[in-house]
Amino acid sequence: MSTSPSNSPKENPYSSASAKVRAELSEIDASIRTAALFFVTSAIVWLLIGTVFALLVAFKAHEPNFASTYEFLTFGRVRSAHLNAMALGWTSNVIFAVGLWIMARLSRFPINHGGMLLIAGFFWNIGLTLGIYGILFGDLTSVEWLEIPHYATPLLAISYTMIGVWGIMAFRFRKGDHVYVSQWYILAALFWFPWLYVVAQLMIIWFPARGVVQSVTNWWFAHNFLGLWMTPMALATAYYLIPKVLGRPIYSYYLSVLGFWSLAIFYNWAGMHHLIGGPIPVWIISAGIVGSVMMVVPVIVVGINHHMSVVGFHKEVWHSPTLRFIVFGAISYTLVSLLGSAMALRSVNEITHFTHFTVGHAHHGVYAFFTMIMFGGVYYMMPRLLKREWPSAALIKLHFWGSAIGITLMVVALQTGGWIQGMQMNNPDILFLDIVQGTIPWLKARSVSGLFLTVGHFAFAINFFWMLFAAGSVRAKEGPTLLAKIKEGGVA
Amino acid sequence: MDAQNYLDLLPIILLGVAFFAAAVGALYWCAKRGQFRDFNAQASVIFTEEEPEGEVSDTFPTKKKR
Repeated sequence: MSTSPSNSPKENPYSSASAKVRAELSEIDASIRTAALFFVTSAIVWLLIGTVFALLVAFKAHEPNFASTYEFLTFGRVRSAHLNAMALGWTSNVIFAVGLWIMARLSRFPINHGGMLLIAGFFWNIGLTLGIYGILFGDLTSVEWLEIPHYATPLLAISYTMIGVWGIMAFRFRKGDHVYVSQWYILAALFWFPWLYVVAQLMIIWFPARGVVQSVTNWWFAHNFLGLWMTPMALATAYYLIPKVLGRPIYSYYLSVLGFWSLAIFYNWAGMHHLIGGPIPVWIISAGIVGSVMMVVPVIVVGINHHMSVVGFHKEVWHSPTLRFIVFGAISYTLVSLLGSAMALRSVNEITHFTHFTVGHAHHGVYAFFTMIMFGGVYYMMPRLLKREWPSAALIKLHFWGSAIGITLMVVALQTGGWIQGMQMNNPDILFLDIVQGTIPWLKARSVSGLFLTVGHFAFAINFFWMLFAAGSVRAKEGPTLLAKIKEGGVA
Repeated sequence: MDAQNYLDLLPIILLGVAFFAAAVGALYWCAKRGQFRDFNAQASVIFTEEEPEGEVSDTFPTKKKR
């Protein structure tokens, strides 16, 4: 057992009774405030843009002639624009904000020269805007998840390097010996993402490998974008905020460490299950299936840990905007991951492959798990950065219910309809056109779910910009990080 | 691509090996630096004087009492 004084919570300078040391937290929050606000603002703008694209795509799936007068509004382009606006616009911007904030806090190291971070963030969003413009006007590549044209990607890669280095610098100059599990997740993701992105760009776009190697690289990248970029950042947020909000340490720190390392070792292979039945060496697919099934280990570990950490605190979870979203996301993580492991089995995959089931699964992971947790992260971070309270509890609730009902409806509709679609596609007696027409009710349900999500997103955006710009109309926070005063004060 | 020619897959295989080696290396570094010891104390480092252990630090904003 460690005997280092710095590892003891009572003697840790992070918990010091000294006002000077305690002021460190406020200093760290202040150091990242401008950059984090920029990233959250960008993330929300991209979320709204991506939502509009998503609605267009959803309606086009059952009404093909809807808004198809112009080339840039055709299904192929808008669908890719939606994917990239969400993957690189919403998710990556919110990761930069929440991930770097948590890393700086846990490392007890302020983000110095935040202006450089702001400039890097500016160029990231310029690169993405250029990329989305290129997609809409026909310059997109034919590679899923990498559709952004080649003239925009170097800007993204360089910008990312300038952003990611801040998290790594905070870790490098951290105070204290101990590395909390959230720091592990964030640090690892900050290395994994550029590795994935640059290798995929080089091997598919800039110096294309021959034949099916491109497909292998494509799914190695696409699946790991979820598993080694979004997942660790969301888990880092959950591992930081669940115990933080409840004021109760995580149920088992041992399990959290086990969960991190098993994810690091097994996830890298999982993407190969997307190529089951494809013309690539069978051992690669088999290794991918093994990796996918082995992911049950970290998923169960994380599931037990999160569940046990909130046992007995259900009321507190429900009364916390942060935890209401995060616990929804944590439950979704268990469900979507176990389902993903099952989908990697050949016998299941032969039904779900090439169906809407996979689309439902992707949204289950990216939205029900990742996005809900990051919403929770933003709800916790913003009052501490702005020293203001969220203006409207009603808008937070509207956001939660819009998102929760919307994503649940979408996942159930697409996975039920997709499973039926898959079973029918394996039956040679059923005409393909009949199968396609059979999916229409499920696709309409997906459109309805999109309306719920849209309501939630606009409620979130209104509350955020209200908080950001109408400083005079919202209650100021009196302490640097306390929310306890809320009960005594209130909002305008 | 020749079905028997696995050379085209070499970059992917090498990447997998490098990835695995990096993970094992980091795991070794952690073990050596004592990151796997005293889990109870380590789980509590997130708490501060301002956001202390034993206190709920987030609730829905409430309306001002008039």
